[in-house]
Amino acid sequence: MIRYILRRLLLLVPVLVGLSMLVFTIARLLPGDPVRLAAGPNATPADIASVAKEFGLDRPLLAQYWDYATGLLRGDWGVSIFSRRPVLEDLSTYLPATLELVLAAMILAVAIGIPAGLMAAVYRDRWPDFLSRAVSLGAISMPRFFLGLLFQLGFAMWLGWLPLSGRFPLTEDPPSAITGLLTIDALLSGNFHALGIALQHLALPAIAMSLSPLATITRMMRASTIEVLQQDYVTTERALGLSRGKILFKYVLKNAVSATLTVIGLYFGWLLGGTVLVETVFDWPGLGLYATQAVLTQDFMPIIGVTLCIGTLFVLVNLLVDLVYGLLNPRVRLR
Amino acid sequence: MTDMTRRGILAGSAAAAALLLVGEGAMAQSRRILVLTSNQDIPNFDPHLASGYSTAWMMRNVYDSLVRVEGNPPKPAPLLAESWTISPDGTEYVFKLNPAARFNDGSPVDAAAVVYSFERILRLNRGNVWMIAGIVKPGSIEAVDAQTVRFRLATAFVPFLQVLPWIWIVNPRQVEANKGSDDGQAWLRANVAGSGAFAVRRAEPGNLYELERVAGNWRQGGGNLTGAIWKITRETATQRLMIQRGEAQIALDLTSEDMDTLKNRPGVDLLIEPEYRTFQIKMNTRHGATMDANLRRAISCAFNYQAMLDVAGYADLMTGPLPESIDGFDKTLQPWRTDLARAKEFLARSAHPNGGIKLTITHVSGLEQQRRWALVLLDSLRALNIELEIRSAIWPDLVASCRSPETLSDFFPVYQTANYGDADNLAYAGYHSSRNGNWQNPVYSNPKVDALITSARAEADPEKRRALYAEFQRTVMEDACDIFGVLERRKLALRNTVKGFAFTPVASNAPELFPLSLG
Repeated sequence: MIRYILRRLLLLVPVLVGLSMLVFTIARLLPGDPVRLAAGPNATPADIASVAKEFGLDRPLLAQYWDYATGLLRGDWGVSIFSRRPVLEDLSTYLPATLELVLAAMILAVAIGIPAGLMAAVYRDRWPDFLSRAVSLGAISMPRFFLGLLFQLGFAMWLGWLPLSGRFPLTEDPPSAITGLLTIDALLSGNFHALGIALQHLALPAIAMSLSPLATITRMMRASTIEVLQQDYVTTERALGLSRGKILFKYVLKNAVSATLTVIGLYFGWLLGGTVLVETVFDWPGLGLYATQAVLTQDFMPIIGVTLCIGTLFVLVNLLVDLVYGLLNPRVRLR
Repeated sequence: MTDMTRRGILAGSAAAAALLLVGEGAMAQSRRILVLTSNQDIPNFDPHLASGYSTAWMMRNVYDSLVRVEGNPPKPAPLLAESWTISPDGTEYVFKLNPAARFNDGSPVDAAAVVYSFERILRLNRGNVWMIAGIVKPGSIEAVDAQTVRFRLATAFVPFLQVLPWIWIVNPRQVEANKGSDDGQAWLRANVAGSGAFAVRRAEPGNLYELERVAGNWRQGGGNLTGAIWKITRETATQRLMIQRGEAQIALDLTSEDMDTLKNRPGVDLLIEPEYRTFQIKMNTRHGATMDANLRRAISCAFNYQAMLDVAGYADLMTGPLPESIDGFDKTLQPWRTDLARAKEFLARSAHPNGGIKLTITHVSGLEQQRRWALVLLDSLRALNIELEIRSAIWPDLVASCRSPETLSDFFPVYQTANYGDADNLAYAGYHSSRNGNWQNPVYSNPKVDALITSARAEADPEKRRALYAEFQRTVMEDACDIFGVLERRKLALRNTVKGFAFTPVASNAPELFPLSLG
């Protein structure tokens, strides 16, 4: 198992090198002129050349990539042309907010989606099934940003139960940063008041983010449970007189959840790169908004930094999924 | 020791909770924090690199400049400089500094600090340096004594006092102590070395910036704010909801629809004022069919201005290249307005008397208003038998297309914001040929216009200056280099608890905190 993990981690290196080369080249070949933009509307050609020189953009592409790649090894992820802030510093600011949101959304989606799918399969073509299918269809058809706006109107404006936006009340100081995830930091520092507030702020955006994966997980889980329930070994277990609960939770669940795990892994990566609309609606200061801003201004280094960051997380999450998959299904041996 | 009964414990708990609530209430009363909600981040705290209104808001509150801007129309008022004199030829300015002025570390704001700050911004050649580029040269600023500083301008520049509010004075002692190898840029990116009435308490990039009042700051009086928060809120609907709920006191980027929704809401004041932000559709005067002045005039007459205004919401149609409220605007100017018969007359005199050509407009992708205006243009051009292809591109691509007449589309829609309250700002940036290749004036070039703008910059006599700008406006109108579009009004929503807010048409979305109070 350890050799397998190490091998997969080593495989991460060529993946990231390839990814960085690809993104680096694409970012440089785009037709826009961020240097001219960064130099300002009144910049002379000499000013523009000076900005290009400052960021090493006057050098050959290969030399620029070499500088970037060697910089990465030293922990230097480059500097934004516009803000002149180091990209690594920005990533460490924005990533925790997005991670917190995506983790919360995935926890909700998994915690509700798997039991819901299981129930729908067990009560196939009865009301729990119809209910779960209707909810899934609605959740997957509704755009996340629109749901977000509806939630804001319903739960924040009309009912006043939850905050409208943001991660923490504006005029209160958040718990001291340890991980950057406010809920975890509040827990680690034993500040339960802050934990409650952070959870209140997290609720609406996390629910809005979770609905799409929740629907997919529910439907996947339902389909794979129905398939497993029709297997011969389940019939045998029933014939042997095993209780329904034992059959369902000891034998069916393990086999049915394997296919869903792959979807969970893929969804995690997809959510990491697709938070921008929910972040916009809920003022969630995360990676999505940062990446969008970088793309709109063609700010090279943040674009590459975000891509590498999400790429790394995506590969790591899928590695984790593969490991869990192996644990759940003894027929799949990781060597 | 008294007996602890259940009733006693409950009563004690209730009393403690009440005390806690009273304490929180008292704390909220003692901390008067104004929340401004905007969609723009503050990327860098270095006052000599910074540009943009969000950064201007922070800079004008944590730093001071020689003069500040106030009133409508905007006028320079003393800040660090308590008085000044200008030589008759307009090339020498002598400022007397306020002896009470102190940086927030206690050191005096003296003439040496002023010289240091101007030399630094000229050296870095970034941010707002363009406002004084070619006017103030390195080595031309002199500390006459501790309280007197003299500027010898390379050429007379009448709006000099108008640009000074945007050049901030840094504390040389702090910057030198953290100079590093980049002239203190790395340190000033996240630190402040100023004399402003506020200091940075909390900075969360992409989320919020909190300022707190500096105890013992040299400027005494002002409003009762103890602090302010610049909250970044990308979605204008959320900004509106925050104002409705009282979570923010000033919303800076609301749309016309948001303003309509907020009308008559209790506790909300709306401010809709004409400003100097112009929108025009520039035409490519140096490449393709739009090189023909008669075709441009025909287009200017065929355009449906009323439809443009209907799309714009709270706005006024522009009469010419300058806003009507700015000094120098020519009231006798005859604007281009929709007149199809006249349009066809001009078309008949052009190289394409029957139309039959295809032109292109490229607007900023995602800006719905620009897309709708492009549709208005498409519809207007049909009357001249001219086809229009509508393209969209992200802003860096559009900026890149401004490099040459060959890469620029036939039509290029653009907003232009006045950074200082003088006609020179819009005239020089938008119509002087030295700006060619930049997005504010990609291609338009007319030596007569250049000469008029240059003369007006140096003309101290207000009447003569107005005459020069009148001639400039008539010439530009005759050239029909732009479809002069709309002047959007500034739309601000404020809670009625905000006191002391006075509108200024320059940087009204970057308000000074010093005079503000929360009631």
